[in-house]
Amino acid sequence: MGINRRFFLRSGAVAVAGLGFAGSLPSFLGRAALAQNGAIASGGRRKTLIAIFQRGAVDGLNMVVPHGEAAYYGMRPTLAIAQPRGVVTAGAAADTAVDLDGFFGLHPSLRMLKPLWDEKRFGIVHAAGSPDATRSHFDAQDYMESATPGVKSTQDGWLNRLLQHDPKDKQSPFRAVSMTQNTPRTLQGRAPALAISNLNDFTIRAGNASANVQGGFESIYEQTVGDTLSGTGRETFEAVNYLKRVNPAQYKPENGAQYPRGRFGDSLLQIAQLIKAGVGLEIAFTDIGGWDTHINQGAARGQLALRLAELGAGINALVTDLGAARMNDVVVLTMSEFGRTARENGTRGTDHGHANAMFVIGGAARGGRVHGQWPGLKSEQLYEGRDLALTTDFRDVFGEVAQKHLGSRNLTKIFPGYAANAAKFRGVLG
Amino acid sequence: MKAFSRNQPRLFNSFNRAARQAATFAVMLALVANTLIVGVTNAEAQTARMSEEQRIVHVLNRLGFGARPGDVERVKAMGVERYIEGQLQPDAIADAAVDAKLRRLPALTMTTAELYAKFPAPGQLLRQLQRRGELPADLAAMMQNRDNQNGAMNNQNAPAANGAMTTPEAATGGAARGDEAADKKDYRQAIREYMRENDLQPPAAITAQLQASRIIRAAHSERQLQEVMVDFWTNHFNIFANKGADKWLLPAYDRDTIRPHTFGKFRELLQATAQSPAMLFYLDNFQSVSPNARGGNRRQMLEGMRRNRTGDQPGMMRERNPLRRNRGLRGNMGNVDEQRAAQVNPNSPQGAMGQGQMTQQRMPQAQRRQRGINENYARELMELHTLGVDGGYTQKDIVEVARCFTGWTILDPRGAAARTGLIDTERAGTFVFNARTHDDGEKIVLGHKIPAGGGINDGLKVLDILARHSSTAKFIATKLSRRFVADEPSPALVARVADAFTKSDGDIRQTLRAIFASPEFNAPENYRAKIKTPFEYAVSAIRAFGGETNGGPAIHQRIAKMGEPLYGYQAPTGYPDKAEAWVNTGALLERLNYALALTGNRIPNTRVDLARFGASGNAGNNLTDADKRRMIDQFSNLLLRGDVSEKTKAALLRQLNSPQTTTSATAITQNETSEMDVAMLPQPEGRGRRNREATSPPVGDLSMMSRVAALITGSPEFQRQ
Repeated sequence: MGINRRFFLRSGAVAVAGLGFAGSLPSFLGRAALAQNGAIASGGRRKTLIAIFQRGAVDGLNMVVPHGEAAYYGMRPTLAIAQPRGVVTAGAAADTAVDLDGFFGLHPSLRMLKPLWDEKRFGIVHAAGSPDATRSHFDAQDYMESATPGVKSTQDGWLNRLLQHDPKDKQSPFRAVSMTQNTPRTLQGRAPALAISNLNDFTIRAGNASANVQGGFESIYEQTVGDTLSGTGRETFEAVNYLKRVNPAQYKPENGAQYPRGRFGDSLLQIAQLIKAGVGLEIAFTDIGGWDTHINQGAARGQLALRLAELGAGINALVTDLGAARMNDVVVLTMSEFGRTARENGTRGTDHGHANAMFVIGGAARGGRVHGQWPGLKSEQLYEGRDLALTTDFRDVFGEVAQKHLGSRNLTKIFPGYAANAAKFRGVLG
Repeated sequence: MKAFSRNQPRLFNSFNRAARQAATFAVMLALVANTLIVGVTNAEAQTARMSEEQRIVHVLNRLGFGARPGDVERVKAMGVERYIEGQLQPDAIADAAVDAKLRRLPALTMTTAELYAKFPAPGQLLRQLQRRGELPADLAAMMQNRDNQNGAMNNQNAPAANGAMTTPEAATGGAARGDEAADKKDYRQAIREYMRENDLQPPAAITAQLQASRIIRAAHSERQLQEVMVDFWTNHFNIFANKGADKWLLPAYDRDTIRPHTFGKFRELLQATAQSPAMLFYLDNFQSVSPNARGGNRRQMLEGMRRNRTGDQPGMMRERNPLRRNRGLRGNMGNVDEQRAAQVNPNSPQGAMGQGQMTQQRMPQAQRRQRGINENYARELMELHTLGVDGGYTQKDIVEVARCFTGWTILDPRGAAARTGLIDTERAGTFVFNARTHDDGEKIVLGHKIPAGGGINDGLKVLDILARHSSTAKFIATKLSRRFVADEPSPALVARVADAFTKSDGDIRQTLRAIFASPEFNAPENYRAKIKTPFEYAVSAIRAFGGETNGGPAIHQRIAKMGEPLYGYQAPTGYPDKAEAWVNTGALLERLNYALALTGNRIPNTRVDLARFGASGNAGNNLTDADKRRMIDQFSNLLLRGDVSEKTKAALLRQLNSPQTTTSATAITQNETSEMDVAMLPQPEGRGRRNREATSPPVGDLSMMSRVAALITGSPEFQRQ
């Protein structure tokens, strides 16, 4: 028989009433409050993963610069980021790498993230990515989002499988939210996930009659009991009503956080808003494009620098806005389908490569270090003689975040065909 | 009781299967048992059938995109069996009104080469103009300016990288940043202008036109079952429009690959997809070459084509049936034997290594390198197109099938050679078998030996083996039964349908007849039991009101927001065909908002005229209870043939009587007042897509009638079919 969703709805509401928050919280949150395992920390706090996809393949070698590697400078006569020189004074517009550990440095456009590194809340995995050799954006994004490199027919994304195989409080409609127009591949699948390009759109749109019409829909959906549609209907209206009280249009970022203008900044701002509203957000997704720098990539300035500045400003604003306490329950994870060629090409750009760098940011991150193994950039160390070789399968990073941060205990289901296990974790989280 | 009788056939089936491997006596016994069961199921189903009217509604829902006003009566008059049979013969159904609407979508009838010329990728266009020395001065200046700026930035970096002091100019990054953004905008604007002046359009407009054609046909075509089957096969053989060249290849895929074969033999449909450039590109087979290939790279292939054209020794086989010229007509896929006979001579001399123009061209990375064998198509062919994931093949079979299909490729997939005159333009983006890159060794596929030296026959034999495999019959039967009958079709139904498939040698029409005649299809428990997909929901609502649509970006964007952008599913699996895939909070909200937008006529170029149904044409703020009840009845009859519970009607009435409260949702109304002109086709879908929502007219005061219509359109009952 099994316990159906309605059962949870009722018992959840009752239990919450017993705890004394009835009336102020919608029932899906009541259910969330009930779940004590996994993603809910002992204090009742919810863990959130914010996944950021850099679509188009960012040049990881200029994002996290191996300035201690002589070969790097040999291969990139016009694109290389200069070695760091001494302590960078605040406000200086230095065009050199921001040193991290004497060997790696951040692209100067990312210098605003250096304090996070120093506070050990920002770690990096370098030479990570997909073991599949494809250099097609389409296929590589597909593989990274499905987390089944080489297998195209995987129907669902890995973040969706994470939700499916972790049945705790799946009732919150805001459990998984993608701040994109359509549901990204990584969140497609059986488990519900919202794609909202703008929170203000999450409402019944009938002008002056909105409240009235919504009431009409609510009463119709109440008439049909015990089927998927009416259940979903009720949850929908609860969510709409709840979000209305959150009033997304009136949001003011805290701690002087300044989000960069544009879709990426807006999406991070709205993710922060959802986290603060306590709507039960567990997985948030957004993406940022413009990384496919075949021509005139630029070095410390130029195309790539501008994109990195937006990425860094966005992450920095998010972390600032949420504040240190909330960031203890949040992990920001960046990913990009593959890296770019170690050598610059004939048009001052880089072509499609192989391994790349990923950021892991949050209170729980084992920050202040570059994780994984550095394969080197000498010709014989390169993958197929041209790209940064792979030493960390991206699934080992995803898996560690899924298990340690979100409490997943089902890595084999989330990563089918891959023996994901704690022994392979890189230790990106404490 | 019911659950028990439903489980029974399954038990007996497994018993049956075991028995087949045992003694003859046991086999006979099992056969007896099987007959008994079929008898029982039929008898049971016959006692509970739908009413005649329900059956008509059911047929209009499942064999089409729902009833228009008057459709039920029309089908009743002609007889539902005749209607079904007629739908199975779409060629005999006149469809002039739709043909006229489609004429406004020129991309549909263009060859791939014409599409490349008319809808060029901007970057390619510029390079081409530059090469020919035809780049207009303003664009050239823009390009120059852009290069300079980027170059300057690099130059600034160079000294910095060498440890020199930062120049003052370099420190003013903020200003430079603003300039660059502005330049980029001007640059794009200039390209758009150039394209407009030269009657060119962006590539995204191809997809928009194709999407529009699907919506127009679903909403307005008399050949409803044809459209349902096009949707089914397009999803079964899914292709994602935004993968590289597929944008340009999809119109031919819809026109020449899917449509001519919707009701024919599965084997022919399968071959049509296997040889379609769209599929060859989507699943990478066009790049799949034998590791021992005798240097069959692209340039040599094109060289071979050129010599072929000038009458020299043919280097490769041209597709025998140039039906790509046969626009919109149901041409035959070509005789298989003829293709077999037309073998390429694999020993033909290699093309001269002359320095063709191609060598000077920039070629995409993937094409520059020899990548060897690519298994993607082979895998999906078996897993998704034929046998099904548990259909009984191994990784070894995948490799062997991939070897069989090496050399099945696309001539000039991106139209670059045609643009430089290296090949005849009309042949750009067509199927070609390249013997030089084919692996000519012996292969063993699912236990069948395929002898060495078979050339193109290897792949054709694989298609024979797969199309006639019992797993394929079962897999296709399952998917068709799921589409037409229920999310979880009974094993007994699937077995019967698979049997019809096998006995008719994969005749799709015959297979469908078996489904429509089945007790399961006509069982009351399957009436309004399937959740409509977003596409079905959107179109069925337009039809229910007798509305009109041009299928433009505004309506497509609505369908996309509900979760089903056409040609927008990235994975080769296609959209799932079960309720759980479509029912979730965000998607449901979009469905309700669609109902509101449609009945409020807020979707540009899609119109419904509610007044023609309403006794009360006024905005309706002073209606009596009787008026309101009449209105509710009217729209419940129109949309749901009265299948609305009294409770729901009462709830609706209560709602209409409650005062219209003004919402505090000012942000929402603001959002919707930033209105723009009505988007007319053909229109690019690319950059402005994010703002598409803003192209809806503002939400004014919704009339009582619109509200009632929206509430019933959004009701759980109308979400089902």
